[in-house]
Amino acid sequence: MKKALSIALGILTSIGGFLDVGAIATAAQAGAAFGFQLIWALLLGTLCVIFLVEMSGRLAAVSGHTLADAVRERFGFRFYFLQYVIEIIVDFLVLGAEIGGVCIALQLVTGISFQWWALPVAFVLWLLLWKGTFGLIENGVALLGLVTLVFVVAVVMLKPDWPAVMSGALPSLSRHDTAHYLFIAVSIIGALVSPYLFFFYSSGAVEEKWDKSYIGPNRAIAVIGMGFGSVVSLGVLITSAIVLFPKGIQVESYDQAALALVAPLGFLGFVLFAVSLGITCFGAAMEVGLDQAFITAQAFGWNWSESQKPAKEARFSLIYTVMIFLSALLMVAGIDPLQLTLFTMALTATILPVVIVPFLVLMNDEKYVGKFRNGIISNTVVVLIIGLAFVLAVVAIPLEVLGGS
Amino acid sequence: MDEEPLDLIKDVLDNQLVDLHGRRMGKADGIIIELRKDGPPRVAYIEVGGPTLAARLHPRIGKWATSLAKRFGVGAEAYRIPWSKLKSVGIDIVVLVDAEKTPVLAFEQWLREHVVSRIPGGKT
Repeated sequence: MKKALSIALGILTSIGGFLDVGAIATAAQAGAAFGFQLIWALLLGTLCVIFLVEMSGRLAAVSGHTLADAVRERFGFRFYFLQYVIEIIVDFLVLGAEIGGVCIALQLVTGISFQWWALPVAFVLWLLLWKGTFGLIENGVALLGLVTLVFVVAVVMLKPDWPAVMSGALPSLSRHDTAHYLFIAVSIIGALVSPYLFFFYSSGAVEEKWDKSYIGPNRAIAVIGMGFGSVVSLGVLITSAIVLFPKGIQVESYDQAALALVAPLGFLGFVLFAVSLGITCFGAAMEVGLDQAFITAQAFGWNWSESQKPAKEARFSLIYTVMIFLSALLMVAGIDPLQLTLFTMALTATILPVVIVPFLVLMNDEKYVGKFRNGIISNTVVVLIIGLAFVLAVVAIPLEVLGGS
Repeated sequence: MDEEPLDLIKDVLDNQLVDLHGRRMGKADGIIIELRKDGPPRVAYIEVGGPTLAARLHPRIGKWATSLAKRFGVGAEAYRIPWSKLKSVGIDIVVLVDAEKTPVLAFEQWLREHVVSRIPGGKT
């Protein structure tokens, strides 16, 4: 019974973990600029993240070690340090983008500019981590996150042309703006396959003392949770494609993205867009902030636990304290949250090989996962998608930067 | 410990150290081998500490980290755990010391006293 409850919570949590500022922003951009045509990128990203989340849970359940722990042990400090520095930089930018998402949500509702919200949001975020426990954070955000189902409701109300939607599931090249098209495709995959998710998920599994009996539930959590998150992302993409694409509205700010829900739901849609954006970004911000503390503690072998009082784990608690305020400064400085999000998500795609390749090696190492090693299918799927994302990223980012300026 | 061969780099270096209370107390940052006149060399200590790690990135970074640690008076000297204190070596290395009583946690304890417990909600 207890396990059934933990599976249910796990599923809710992974919906929360899946959806963040990146998933919403990239799906809205894709729908507005290219209609249904980029659905394939969303599906590929989802498939890849399902496999990878399942792997990080399995690694933790079998070995009792997190991904970061295992990478340092297996590949040594020099390699881990490289990965750590890259991950901290990307996490810093992602955290800035997530805090930005919360600030924009508040700006949409109150009309007060997002810059003013950055420090208050950072403070509340920090307070919850400082005072709260892991379970409270996870489950609270997960339950509130169900509001994002409004995007699915909107799709049903808009009655899309399903055959046209299906045709987007097959990869094709755009006839116009190819560089931008590829850039958005890369951003979508980067937004879904976020490295912090795997470090965070395996840390959570270790914190909750998973053992081998969680291998089955872990699979269910990965597939249903990520699948559900993907359905909501698809909802964002399809509503944008139906409402914004025909009118030629490019999503250059979050106000424009909100219009996608105004068409079917009126003012309520506007409010629900802001609430969805705020909650998912807030939840993701907590995860990314904690992730930085997790990977730092695990890099140096410190004791770590989110459920302990901060005084018990002083270094751990101070890491997220400092990182949250540093990331909030990006927003105080007035960097555009949407631009930061898209750039960071595309950047993520370029660093994926550094994180994922060692991860796959571990998942095939009997010392860590015993007889629960990866099969040929999971290895192949992940290698192909990560390889594709990396190549696309290397091609598309320079083009976007050159073309955009 | 059993008779199976132990690969120092693969099986010991960088593994998690756990103290006798089951508390994580750092990683095996370095391994010290003693050269003796009256016998073959032997593995003497496991080293834990920032400067040891830094030196593994580059000797110059190591020197820089050591002088920095000296200036702040914490962790300038790496803590050495005698090999005889090792209880078991697996993915975790269990050692028979109390982490709280070693200099490994000096910085943690300093932060706890001077920073965290002064922030509301940090202590209770």
